[in-house]
Amino acid sequence: METIILFSPLVGALICGFGWKLIGEKAAQYTATGFLFLACFLSWIVFLTFNGETQQIQILRWIESGSLSTDWAIRLDRLTAIMLIVITSVSALVHLYSFGYMAHDENFDDAKESYRPRFFAYLSFFTFAMLMLVTADNLVQMFFGWEGVGLASYLLIGFYFRKPSANAAAIKAFVVNRVGDFGFALGIFAIFFMVDSIRFDDIFAAAPELAEAKISFLWTEWNAIELICVLLFIGAMGKSAQFILHTWLPDAMEGPTPVSALIHAATMVTAGVFLVCRMSPLMEFAPMATNFIIIMGAVTAFFAATVGLVQNDIKRVIAYSTCSQLGYMFVAAGVGVYSVAMFHLLTHAFFKAMLFLGAGSVIHGMHHEQDMRNYGGLRHKMPYTFWAMMIGTLAITGVGIPLLYIGFPVGFAGFVSKDAIIESAFAATDPAARFAFWSLVVAALFTSFYSWRLMFMTFYGEPRGDKHTHEHAHESPMTMVAPLGVLAIGAIFAGMVWYKPFFGSEEAVDKFFGVTKSEEHAQVLMIGAAYAATETADDTHGEAKDDHDAVAAVPGQGALYRAPDNHVLHDAHYVPVWVKLSPFFAMLIGFLTAYQFYIRQPDWPGKLAENQKHLYQFLLNKWYVDEIYDFLFVKPAMWLGRFLWKKGDGNVIDGGLNGLAMGVVPFFTRLAGRAQSGYIFTYAFWMVIGIAFLITWMTLSGGAE
Amino acid sequence: MQPGDLSVILPEIILSLFAMAGLMVGAYGGKDKTAPMLVWTTSALMVALAAWIGLQGAGRAVAFGGMFIDDGFARFAKVTVLLSAAAILLMSEGYMQRRGLLRFEYPLLIALAAVGMMMMVSAGDLIALYMGLELQSLALYVVASLRRDSVKSTEAGLKYFVLGALSSGLLLYGASLTYGFAGTTLFSGIIEAAQGELPLGLLFGLAFISAGLAFKVSAAPFHMWTPDVYEGAPTPITAFFATAPKMAAMGLFARVVHDAFGGIVGDWQQILAFLSVASMYLGAVAAIGQTNIKRLMAYSSIAHMGFALMGLAAGTAFGVQAMLVYMAIYITMNIGTFAFIMSMEKDGAPVVTIASLSQYSRRDPLKALAMLVLLFSLAGVPPLVGFFGKYYVLLAAVDAGLGWLAVAGVIASVIGAFYYLRIVYLMYFGAEDSELDAGASPILSGFLVASAAIMVLGVVNLFGVEAVAEAAAATLVN
Amino acid sequence: MIGLEHYLTVAATLFVIGIFGIFLNRKNVIILLMSIELMLLAVNINLVAFSAYLADLTGQVFTLFVLTVAAAEAAIGLAILVCFFRNRGTIDVEDVNVMKG
Repeated sequence: METIILFSPLVGALICGFGWKLIGEKAAQYTATGFLFLACFLSWIVFLTFNGETQQIQILRWIESGSLSTDWAIRLDRLTAIMLIVITSVSALVHLYSFGYMAHDENFDDAKESYRPRFFAYLSFFTFAMLMLVTADNLVQMFFGWEGVGLASYLLIGFYFRKPSANAAAIKAFVVNRVGDFGFALGIFAIFFMVDSIRFDDIFAAAPELAEAKISFLWTEWNAIELICVLLFIGAMGKSAQFILHTWLPDAMEGPTPVSALIHAATMVTAGVFLVCRMSPLMEFAPMATNFIIIMGAVTAFFAATVGLVQNDIKRVIAYSTCSQLGYMFVAAGVGVYSVAMFHLLTHAFFKAMLFLGAGSVIHGMHHEQDMRNYGGLRHKMPYTFWAMMIGTLAITGVGIPLLYIGFPVGFAGFVSKDAIIESAFAATDPAARFAFWSLVVAALFTSFYSWRLMFMTFYGEPRGDKHTHEHAHESPMTMVAPLGVLAIGAIFAGMVWYKPFFGSEEAVDKFFGVTKSEEHAQVLMIGAAYAATETADDTHGEAKDDHDAVAAVPGQGALYRAPDNHVLHDAHYVPVWVKLSPFFAMLIGFLTAYQFYIRQPDWPGKLAENQKHLYQFLLNKWYVDEIYDFLFVKPAMWLGRFLWKKGDGNVIDGGLNGLAMGVVPFFTRLAGRAQSGYIFTYAFWMVIGIAFLITWMTLSGGAE
Repeated sequence: MQPGDLSVILPEIILSLFAMAGLMVGAYGGKDKTAPMLVWTTSALMVALAAWIGLQGAGRAVAFGGMFIDDGFARFAKVTVLLSAAAILLMSEGYMQRRGLLRFEYPLLIALAAVGMMMMVSAGDLIALYMGLELQSLALYVVASLRRDSVKSTEAGLKYFVLGALSSGLLLYGASLTYGFAGTTLFSGIIEAAQGELPLGLLFGLAFISAGLAFKVSAAPFHMWTPDVYEGAPTPITAFFATAPKMAAMGLFARVVHDAFGGIVGDWQQILAFLSVASMYLGAVAAIGQTNIKRLMAYSSIAHMGFALMGLAAGTAFGVQAMLVYMAIYITMNIGTFAFIMSMEKDGAPVVTIASLSQYSRRDPLKALAMLVLLFSLAGVPPLVGFFGKYYVLLAAVDAGLGWLAVAGVIASVIGAFYYLRIVYLMYFGAEDSELDAGASPILSGFLVASAAIMVLGVVNLFGVEAVAEAAAATLVN
Repeated sequence: MIGLEHYLTVAATLFVIGIFGIFLNRKNVIILLMSIELMLLAVNINLVAFSAYLADLTGQVFTLFVLTVAAAEAAIGLAILVCFFRNRGTIDVEDVNVMKG
């Protein structure tokens, strides 16, 4: 069944992409969508019937080279199961949605070009690559999927290949991701270098030894596991658009909106989070690396939220919001509550996909107008879309009833998972955790503000901008609205339903993720390489904790690994009340400010921008990160490229090679042609020359050895 | 002579008796009307013999006091020779029929040439070598001028004959010197004499014999006959020249240098390396100026022989293996390519200008695609099989410490790729429309497509030819 | 006393004359056939001389083979030449150059 899930999108992509000429455009679209719904259906069966025990399903032997032996196998554990439903559900809905969204496109000539099968094939191919990534049983396979999604992302961002901006964005996404991938690849090399295997089981089993080992890199001795984890995280940063490597994500909005929803919100960008969670057995042994992750995550969450405050393009607002939410997930992963990171990943997939699809619906209805300043008062024209967006906004801003607990907290999905992250950040003992806590709270405030700003600017107030467009604004077709409805269910209930398995007691979470504990292994841990400081645990927790600590999980046994001294998950439930209330109040303040600014006094934003001109410009220009990169990397690279092109290539290589190709070779060709005179005596003469040469040579050098 | 000796050369005897019987049938039976039947029976017999020889299994038999050697190496070469000869015969039937060239002597001369080639690769003595070589050459001189009413064909025959005789003379002179200084004509005797410091006579002998053999494999600078003969001879004959005799001559070359002069690898290594470099570069450079596709294929085969010689120049078992693999691949590619060239027609008349292929892909996409694959393979573009052939010989050269030769080979193949790709370019992006007729006989199309398919599918494991070649090479070099 | 060297010298001289006959002669193709014959005979002298010197019969057997083949070769050569003459109307070596380049 897992194999069917993995390959049905590929089959769909192949049939749709290569076979549409045979079966027709419509049939191709139906085929791709049908295969995805099949995969989606099976995924849910797998997820709901999965018992938590890790399974490996061998597909084929793949690479055999020296000590590198790689099978192509599906690793099915809870982590995979979660990703399966996220990917296939969102993907299936996006396929369905695309029927409506891609029905007409002014970037292409309907009469002459068939762009829809291409679009669907790319989407299905992306889904396949993403499934490859999450079902991988070893790092190379994962890297394969990793690059596959990168390729699909490139193709889809650049889908409107006639738009120079889309092409530029596609290239930017590809190049920036290369930076991260380079780190990831280095991480894989380092792991293979140290462990001599790239299979997850072997790597996880070797984690305790790795924590002791040293590795030399860039002329410096490093702790092996810290270096590996940082390198892997650099890969994750690229894919998940974390600060420094985030610049591609907003630009990626050049792609069609369903793509933004699927790839750049729900699935691909979360691959980095998935990677960190997947590598939890390593991360748990690398405190420095996790601190780094916390800092980067917190900075991203804060930074992206601030930029989101002032953006005017509806998709860019959501893109920065995605960036920011990914920061949340990394903080959660960094402080060691991987289940919570996955929790937020899951809920975020629902509500962010919904926000994007809702935005797509608005854009579709407004004839591809994306500037929010030209929206306004659309809630009557697009009631369904409005309600969907409303639910999404309620979910992302984290609306819920604080402190009420009836077996589960009551609130929208985002409320539950985001609060879980903030509480965990407070409970964590890492040095950077407190900083992360405050960043996240402030980011939550900003999140609330920009989300409501988006709602108010789009759906409330007076219609602004082109009158004609507003007159023709219309609700989207059923194929676009229906996926919104499905996602709405997820956005409302996902948090409440899965609160326990993701953020319940340690036992509940362990059970859900199939983590088994064994005393034997704890002994090994202590004796072998007890980086996991059992002794300190002894000191601080006293006798009572002793038994508990002796029962440690085996790295790689379940889907996640928690070091014996990691009790953040437990402690997060016992944070002070003000901490639990803080995100709620942050949300409230954000909402009220937005209400004040955009409903009651719509002239305030302009005035404020006028007053705080520098701050406004700073935010509007996204902290000038792009400009800095332009100055630091792009300009010098351009200069170098131009230099090599004009001087190096033009003069040296072209001159040299062309001289060779156009001058020397034809010269010899003419010579050879002339030698081939057609006369027997010439031919005989050459043969005699040949034999004379051979004889002379043999005489001179013969018997020399 | 012992009765057992005859059983060792039974395949050769059968084929020569068949050829003589066929001559009788043809001469007294109905002249050229029997020709189609003879073509089919000859090729059937060749395939049957190839199967028989191929399935004989391991083992080494020596007959006539060491003059005739039947070992794994000989069997590999014989199977290749017989199969390629049979393939060319089958392909040529329709072509020759339509041009009134299908005389009954044609299949029989090919059969006799094949006997000569089988003799060559099994030779264990200078006399046997000479007889095999001459039997092959005499038959080839005749088939080259098979088109008696054409200036080109007879001129091709004449040139081939005169130069071939000159090369035989060189070879014989070398043989006589070798005999005089080694005291015997048996390879097994020569190798004992040719050890360590050599008398000048033996070195001269080696050089002359090498020159004679280089002529047969058309290695530069003994290649001059090749383009003219390829151009002048009827296309099926050209196809034959490009395949079976090359394998036989290469096999004979390997046999002489290893069986007779195996003790002085360093000496002939220099000769072979020189021939190899000269051939690769001359083939690559001279082909660029060609407008006639048959001449182009001539230079192409010169370049390819340079690569095969590189494998031989390594002087190791792996080198011989690489050479055998290379030859098998080369022959397969050439059969497909010549099937295409034979199908190039305009209003029923053969066309051989490269320019006529302009925009051919529109006229016949499938054949154009197959040709594209073959040309890429000939150029050695990965991942097609042709690339692996080159890779093997380069590896052999590097292993044997001839790094410079390998580097030279890579550069030559880059230059050589140009003219293959130019044809591809013409076929797909040419300026004018092709005037060639579309379609071809099923046999030609079949060989063309099969050959192209092998170039693609063979990348999996080269159809196991490596292992066979390795075993064959092991029997020659030990 | 005539020794092996003398025979070898004669043979070498004849052989070189034969070769020169092939690439210096520009007139008649028949002369080419004669030159070839000369080369083969030079080889035969070599073989017989070595045979006598080594007191080994193989060389003389080889000679007989060479003679036989040379006869066949001459026959075929003349046959091709006749065909060529019919088509071209000349057997001048300089006119055998329809194909070149």
